[in-house]
Amino acid sequence: MKGYSTKGRTGPLTRHVIGAAFGLAVALGVGIPQVANAQEDVTIRMWALTNPNYPEFIAQAAEAFKTTHPNVTIDFQETPNEAYKTAIQVALVGSDPPDVFFNWAGEDSVRLVRDGLVLDISDLAKKPGQFGTALAQSWLDTFSVDGRIYGAPTDAVTKYFYYDNAFFTENKLSVPKTFNELLGLCTAIRAIDPDIVPIPLGNSERWKMNHYITILNERVMGNDVLRADYSLKAPDDQLFTNAGYVAAWGKVLELQKAGCFQDAPNATSPEVSRTMFSSQISPMIFCGSWCMSIFDGEGYTDYSLFRFPPVDGGASDGDSNMVVPQGLQVAAATKHPTEAVEWISFLTSPEQSAKFAEMRGALPSDPSMLSGLQNATAQFKWVAADMASLAVQYNVIDVEVEASVANAYLDAGVEILNGTMTPEQAMASIRTAALAAKAKMK
Amino acid sequence: MPDATVTPAPAITKPAKISVNRPQYSARLSAAILLAPALGLCAVFIFIPAILAIAGSFFTFGITSRAWEPAGVSNYARILADPIFWTALRNNLIIVVGSVVFQVGIGTILAAILDRGLPRASTVFRTIIFAPMVVSAVAVALIWQVILDPNVGALNAIIKSVGLTPPQLGWLGDPTISIWVVLMIACWQYTGFMMVLILAGLQGIPKELYEAASLDGARGLKAFRHITLPSIRNVLIVAMLITTIGGFKVFDLIYATTQGGPANATQVLGTYIYLQAFNLGNMGYANAISVVLLTIAVMLGWLQLKSSRRA
Repeated sequence: MKGYSTKGRTGPLTRHVIGAAFGLAVALGVGIPQVANAQEDVTIRMWALTNPNYPEFIAQAAEAFKTTHPNVTIDFQETPNEAYKTAIQVALVGSDPPDVFFNWAGEDSVRLVRDGLVLDISDLAKKPGQFGTALAQSWLDTFSVDGRIYGAPTDAVTKYFYYDNAFFTENKLSVPKTFNELLGLCTAIRAIDPDIVPIPLGNSERWKMNHYITILNERVMGNDVLRADYSLKAPDDQLFTNAGYVAAWGKVLELQKAGCFQDAPNATSPEVSRTMFSSQISPMIFCGSWCMSIFDGEGYTDYSLFRFPPVDGGASDGDSNMVVPQGLQVAAATKHPTEAVEWISFLTSPEQSAKFAEMRGALPSDPSMLSGLQNATAQFKWVAADMASLAVQYNVIDVEVEASVANAYLDAGVEILNGTMTPEQAMASIRTAALAAKAKMK
Repeated sequence: MPDATVTPAPAITKPAKISVNRPQYSARLSAAILLAPALGLCAVFIFIPAILAIAGSFFTFGITSRAWEPAGVSNYARILADPIFWTALRNNLIIVVGSVVFQVGIGTILAAILDRGLPRASTVFRTIIFAPMVVSAVAVALIWQVILDPNVGALNAIIKSVGLTPPQLGWLGDPTISIWVVLMIACWQYTGFMMVLILAGLQGIPKELYEAASLDGARGLKAFRHITLPSIRNVLIVAMLITTIGGFKVFDLIYATTQGGPANATQVLGTYIYLQAFNLGNMGYANAISVVLLTIAVMLGWLQLKSSRRA
């Protein structure tokens, strides 16, 4: 874990001013309890995922927060993705959890609410000036359970196809408007050079294919059909039985057959697949909105993006996308709930949201100041506008569904790509897991 | 009858007894004081968690859930019907048998070469062969991931350059070969350690034995079979037991290399316990698998103790 702390950063002048104010209050003999309380040193421990430029963002925010909260110190620690998922669960049931922590909206956060590990911050968040009065209701809903607020959404990530402008121009290729055109594009790229992998897929950690199937399910069946199955509320005899699920896996096989992917996607890491695009070995990649800052950081900026096209004959018109809201929650065991909520409200303020967007290249929950960003890239502006225009947003399967069903989906993706499972067998295993999970919930 | 003179019996003085027992008492107290920290650490990090794991295996609960629901022996019954558990156990056995054959086998051969067959630079070779042992399993996994990568890896490039075809699904992506590839990585890392262990045993064999055997016409492989192997029998037993226990405990290398994939093809008990406990939230079931693994480890430990006593 890497850390950052503002402990001991109060300047000498500030300390003298605080001391003088306190002395004056004592001499006057008024308001002593309140003043003493206000001056009590508070350390807010914050845990989050390791992300480029995030520690720097938190460092400047912690310094700025000190102007209004001189007694509050932010103790920040970051942890890599897989380790974080375990560490935060262990910490929350331990005796010394962080006050504020990162989480994904969806089942991950709802489970912690069910287990009583997250604080209901509805009343604190709705106080004047706090995030509950500033953010859009649709954003607040992402971390709400039964109408109560259990976290502050900070940003959202989504997925796009990235393509190499120079390669497309040179070979007179155009952006596909339908899934079949996407297949045709892969075939065309293979025709240019059979050794070029059109869309490298790094599925060694399983989640890359999960993003494909999340979107293909929606493109084939539409979002409304999926809701009942993902929440396990569909009747037992209908749970994950829609023929569209098998058809969606079939689309994965069509992509594979058209030569879109390389031979061994399950042995390729996400990092290698990203590098294949950024080093222009491959002309396209299906990557998260977070990839923009990675590519920009590597010095590769000659790319454009397009949304996953609609499937021919599918229920969705494509005016939708997978959007994964992320945010900050407050541990139920925190001793400083007020300061914790004030800190996360500060992080989601318009000014800090703009800084977040600028430093992280991510899309904040408060987009009001995005238009004024000086250093935003053309790609970032395009993504911000595209996300704002979406008619339908939906979460990724492995965040949305119960853990064992998510695991079945993740395994099925690997087996489909390896050819060791048919789409029908994949859905049979997922349905079995879903029925078992539903029975367990009863 | 003259009056008998009664001579009082000499009094048995207690101080004499104390003077005999005090050193023993003191030694026991010293031993207890010296052992206390180690016993305390063992209790906190081994005995209490083991007892909690055994207790937890009879309940259903998640890592973040506060309520423990009694489950009887259902977690153990579930183990019997869980195909992934049996895949994991089979993979552990493959790693155990493969490690014993390759690590101890190759380690013995390398040790014999370094001890008798390499007149110069044996220290250099010993250091080179032992070097992977000091690298962490995570670093080893990352190194091999790069070497085995199907797109940019060195191994595929070499294979293609000599006109051969590498596995289409990748070395770590093909479920039929991935466990063997992981075994190979483990052998690469630990064979050096076995070599050093066995080399120490070889260097304890008196040279006179070889000289006498040489006079009787036993040289080379014959001497190795009839003198070297019987002389290092106990070292080989220890090496095999260390490898066997290590094979059942393996976690870090598998987790860092494949995370148990593709589709559970390289799952071992250690990674499966982790998956159930932390990814799927089935702590009770994970505890039950841990108890099975603990039982295997205790049995192997007992075997090791018994063998070392016999030795």
